[in-house]
Amino acid sequence: MSIDTTTESESGLVTDEELLESGRRQRLLRGTIGTAVFLFIWQVSATPVPTYLLPTPLAVAQAFIVELTAPTTFILPLVGTEVTLTRMIVGLINSLYHYIPGLFVGGAAGIAFGIALGWSRLLDDAITPVQRVLRPIPPLAWIAFAIVWLGVNHQGAAFIVGIGAFWINFYNAYAGVKSVPQSTQEVAASLGVESDLTMIRKVVVPKASPEIMTGIRTSIGQSWMIVVAAELFGAPGVGFQIINAAQNLALDVSVAYMFVISIVFLISDGIFQRVESRVLVWRE
Amino acid sequence: MSQQPTDGKIVVDGIDKRFRSESGVVEALRDVNFAVTEGEFVCLIGASGAGKTTLFRIIAGLEPASKGTVWLDGEPIDGPGMDRGMVFQEYGLFPWRTVMGNVTFGLEQRGLDSTARRDRAQEMIDLVGLDGFEDSYPKELSGGMKQRVGIARALAVDPEILLMDEPFGSVDAQTKGRLHDELLDIWSATNKTVLFVTHDVDEAVTLADRVVVLTGSPGSVHEVVEIDLDRPRSRTDDAFAEYEQQLRDAIE
Repeated sequence: MSIDTTTESESGLVTDEELLESGRRQRLLRGTIGTAVFLFIWQVSATPVPTYLLPTPLAVAQAFIVELTAPTTFILPLVGTEVTLTRMIVGLINSLYHYIPGLFVGGAAGIAFGIALGWSRLLDDAITPVQRVLRPIPPLAWIAFAIVWLGVNHQGAAFIVGIGAFWINFYNAYAGVKSVPQSTQEVAASLGVESDLTMIRKVVVPKASPEIMTGIRTSIGQSWMIVVAAELFGAPGVGFQIINAAQNLALDVSVAYMFVISIVFLISDGIFQRVESRVLVWRE
Repeated sequence: MSQQPTDGKIVVDGIDKRFRSESGVVEALRDVNFAVTEGEFVCLIGASGAGKTTLFRIIAGLEPASKGTVWLDGEPIDGPGMDRGMVFQEYGLFPWRTVMGNVTFGLEQRGLDSTARRDRAQEMIDLVGLDGFEDSYPKELSGGMKQRVGIARALAVDPEILLMDEPFGSVDAQTKGRLHDELLDIWSATNKTVLFVTHDVDEAVTLADRVVVLTGSPGSVHEVVEIDLDRPRSRTDDAFAEYEQQLRDAIE
């Protein structure tokens, strides 16, 4: 059983549901108008100039469809078999091959370090000076190490993505653990929690989970920026397609790939938002 | 090895407490002595600054005393433990756990299997009158309901004593009255020894067998008042008013 939160509607008054629905409709209408105005201005200003300066929305849509359907071969990593896919799908798969491992490994390491330093005064005191100096360095500045250690490939790009994901998740997890009130731990201690590990697992991490989730969500978005930047150096993927097309003055293709990033981000962020609201259903 | 000096469930024996602060050393408690017998309901009362909460934290084992010992069943207290069930003013509920999850928390540390945990927790939830709210999260509960969860959670592990630090300080007067009745019912049903910290004279006279009055700075025991009234007690009684006046005079 849960607490009943619906309010009784009296005759003549609008119900909460109706009020919400009319709000939604109004927002949808305004959004549609705004988008239409944006596309109109874009179309009008792009029409008189050549595509290599500013492609029209229609040209971009055309390029999008061409890239989405143009067949190309792709060799599956690890398996080694050659399959026929389309250019856009191949670009996306290539990007995901360094985006996903970089995000997961870097993010997990960031969360682990954040919890450890947030929890342990000793580690915090010992590592904070180094952490402070390293943190402001943009992930891309590590490109030299990525190239000499791993090369201009998936591993190198994943390394750069991982550094970015590491810091975002580190800092959020650290701040989350630091914000757990002493009193919460005292309550847990009075209920028989003795070991640090139990305290971290059953009290500190759950209490810090909103901040940890924020870190993950932020890094899902930020890592795409890093993917594009890392591919500037030649690792294959969507970012490389953007740059490559731009160098051939095919800006319509460039913008089409820019939208690919946007779409993938919106989908992944939307999925994560659902996960987050399910995990944090208890949040006030 | 020293021995507990007098009989009692809880014996507070010569407690001093000094803190280091920015303005130097602050003395919070000086030579605090009193005892609580098994099954007794004792209120610890005092003006703010008399060190009530400090003393509570020492008895809870959350802070060491500078001098002296608190004994529980003849054993010196040296840390928090499941022998003392604690209820805090700000509830201290785990917001990420449901009512059931909060009440089972202590039982998990005891290593009970999940059926035994649920059975025991359900018993406690029923005891505090929250059946039907097992799957609610703390954010969905009122202040009074939250504190019922706090009490159920503290009682679930079957502690020797119940330590309560101004548990009803954040609820409205009407709810407070109801919670007092419920707490007294629970107390008589479970035969727990209760030590209840408050600054509310009315609350102390309503609940306690004896009231320990802490005064001064540093705080020490000024007086121990036995409340010799039958329960349920009526605020409109002359004797009730006299006890109130006596405590008020003692605090000032």
